[in-house]
Amino acid sequence: MNSTEIIAELQPIFADILDIPDLKLTPETKATDVDGWDSLAHINLVVATERRYKVKFALGELQDLKNVGDMANLIIKKLSS
Amino acid sequence: MNDYGWQDLAIGLRASFDVQVTAQMLESFAAISGDTNPLHMDEEFAKAAGFPGRVVFGMLTAGFYSRLIGMCLPGKRALLHGMDIEFKNPAYIGDSLSVSGEISYLNDAYRRIEVKARVMNQNGKLVSKATIRTGLHER
Repeated sequence: MNSTEIIAELQPIFADILDIPDLKLTPETKATDVDGWDSLAHINLVVATERRYKVKFALGELQDLKNVGDMANLIIKKLSS
Repeated sequence: MNDYGWQDLAIGLRASFDVQVTAQMLESFAAISGDTNPLHMDEEFAKAAGFPGRVVFGMLTAGFYSRLIGMCLPGKRALLHGMDIEFKNPAYIGDSLSVSGEISYLNDAYRRIEVKARVMNQNGKLVSKATIRTGLHER
């Protein structure tokens, strides 16, 4: 599974949580680009992502993420380890 | 009141309590919420609508989820983030309700707790069920 496929899978999850039906995620999308992506929404996004891929993120890993592309790459790393 | 710290929590940890619904609770809830819908406040209206008596506000019974989180699971350090509730059966004045919850998910990074909770009546009927999301703040 590559980064593009991961982002495509994340899109409906993020759209639902952020309540933006036509949300278009790209590798460059970051929290400040999206209305409603606040700290509480961020927790909801992380938890939903953990559950979707049955992985666990450490706080340090999450703090290093700059955008959705980084998140996708972290998921790939988790799935392959 | 419980005072669970993060290290005390585990998936499967449970809490429960029983509570009896009184007419005074409905009066208080109506005063606080401003909801005086006759289904909840007028016995004759409720009976005419096909119910055996005044129907307890769904959100009053959901208020017991606040107690579950704030007093029991995790208790003192709870910081409620949100909840999804489904109301399955009505409750009535005098009902003895059993409120219970169990931790179903823990997110270590952000200290997010998910609790699956339910309210049952004295006949074993499900009044409501909820998925509750809460954080845990420092003292």
